[in-house]
Amino acid sequence: MNWTGAARTIVVCAILIVLHFTLRPLLAWRASIDFLIVALLLGAVRLRPGSAAVYGFLLGLVADSLSVGGFGASALGMSIVGFSASWLKAVFFADNLALNGFFLFLAKWVFDLIVLLVGIRSANGIAMQIFVWSPLSAAVTAVAGVIALSLLKPLMEVRTA
Amino acid sequence: MATAARLGTRIDVSLLMGCVVLSLVAVALPAEDREPIASALRRSVVAPLVGLQRGAERWRTAWATSEARQAAADSVALRAVNAQALQLENDQLRKILGLGSRLQWGFVPAEALHSTAPSEDIVTTMTLSAGSTAGIQPQSAVVAPEGLVGKVYKADPTMSLVILYTNPDFRASAMTADGSAFGIVYPHAARASGAEAYMLELRDVPTRVQLKPGTPIYTSGLGGTFPRGITIGNVVQEVKTSEVWTRTYLMRPAVTPSRVTSVLVLTAQRVTQGTGNVWGAAVNADSAARKIAAAGDSLAKQAALLEAQARAAALDSVKRATIDSVRRSLGAAPMPMTAADSAAIKRGAAPGTSGVPGQTAPVVRDTGAAVRRPTTPARPDSIKKPR
Repeated sequence: MNWTGAARTIVVCAILIVLHFTLRPLLAWRASIDFLIVALLLGAVRLRPGSAAVYGFLLGLVADSLSVGGFGASALGMSIVGFSASWLKAVFFADNLALNGFFLFLAKWVFDLIVLLVGIRSANGIAMQIFVWSPLSAAVTAVAGVIALSLLKPLMEVRTA
Repeated sequence: MATAARLGTRIDVSLLMGCVVLSLVAVALPAEDREPIASALRRSVVAPLVGLQRGAERWRTAWATSEARQAAADSVALRAVNAQALQLENDQLRKILGLGSRLQWGFVPAEALHSTAPSEDIVTTMTLSAGSTAGIQPQSAVVAPEGLVGKVYKADPTMSLVILYTNPDFRASAMTADGSAFGIVYPHAARASGAEAYMLELRDVPTRVQLKPGTPIYTSGLGGTFPRGITIGNVVQEVKTSEVWTRTYLMRPAVTPSRVTSVLVLTAQRVTQGTGNVWGAAVNADSAARKIAAAGDSLAKQAALLEAQARAAALDSVKRATIDSVRRSLGAAPMPMTAADSAAIKRGAAPGTSGVPGQTAPVVRDTGAAVRRPTTPARPDSIKKPR
């Protein structure tokens, strides 16, 4: 990845991170959109797996610092998700929005699963969270991610003269 | 090449393992150790994002509460409208209660229901929520706290029909507060629109009496329908008519019929016995002033009469003393005392005085001459000349 591509990726990821801290509180849905996962996958597929894990770890720390409890759970989940996405980067290079959406859904659900299992405090409602709210949130995130990727695609493409 | 790839994979796995270990350490940290780290992140690296999130939440809160705020503002506005109507009704009811407490007896409270016919521009009749069962009879006076409203035209068992002062059939005997002018109140014939629609005329006022604008007019009590002293309205101006010996005045009524919601109907016994000082003290105060003035005039007249009598008695005494002196000097017998002088001496007062305690001072002018014995000659210097 050249410097231009890296800069474009950084800009797009920054936009997604800003959306995570502005649009999500405005919507305040019960099944919320996780723009950090979208930013993580978008950056991870352009990095080596180790770097993607570090990238995920840093994003997870940011998310953990603003969460009430379970400090470190998001860092763990995003590290694993980022490493896996980078390892499976061939899938994301496929120019298929539905496939990208499916992997966004999968990434978000796995991330929620890790966070819930690691940062678990009580078993009350965890099944509901895992099998209802997490899939719903993953689906919303996948839809929003596909829309965001479609909108930001012109910014990501490298133009050749 | 394969070695480099293998090395890269090992580095990647090592980085992943390092991140996983650090994450697990963070998870395993006690709460008192985790919070300083999170707080340091929030105050440094994540601070801009925290600001963004806080701003977004403020926007959302403002947006979410705007509807509630608008609903609250609408509710307040609606309550303000209702409160205004309630306040007006409350004021009227308070006035009715005040009027009822002043009247004390002999009235029937009723709620006024307006039933203006479509063809009528102004309110001329009114339906009351009380009828003959409550003691209301036809021709009973209907009053409001501000003054006269009308009279009962028809009384059913549970409701009554009232003709207001705006009705063409309405008449009322009226007078001024000092009783200097009497007349008959009619509804104003040439009706205008708006506030001028409800006007009255005071007719048959003697030509010698000229009423100023603003003069209050009350019921006179003549005719037996309305008791004396109910406020009808105020004089606005004189109306030019073809009548030569009487004047006609335009009046503004004290009561606006369209705003009346509660009234009192006076019973026949109350009309007979009068309402007393209920609609202001104007009539009674003027009457009292007139009585006081009349009493003062009577006292002055009585004093003048007594003074004249004393003066005449003094003159008689002087005359008698002079005659006695002349007769004595001529050797004749003195004149006998008159019956009035004898009676005055018996009462212990001087002849020519009234004998009433407290009224002797102005009339005592010749007491010495009155009680002087006939044999004693009168000294000329002891006789005061009357003024």
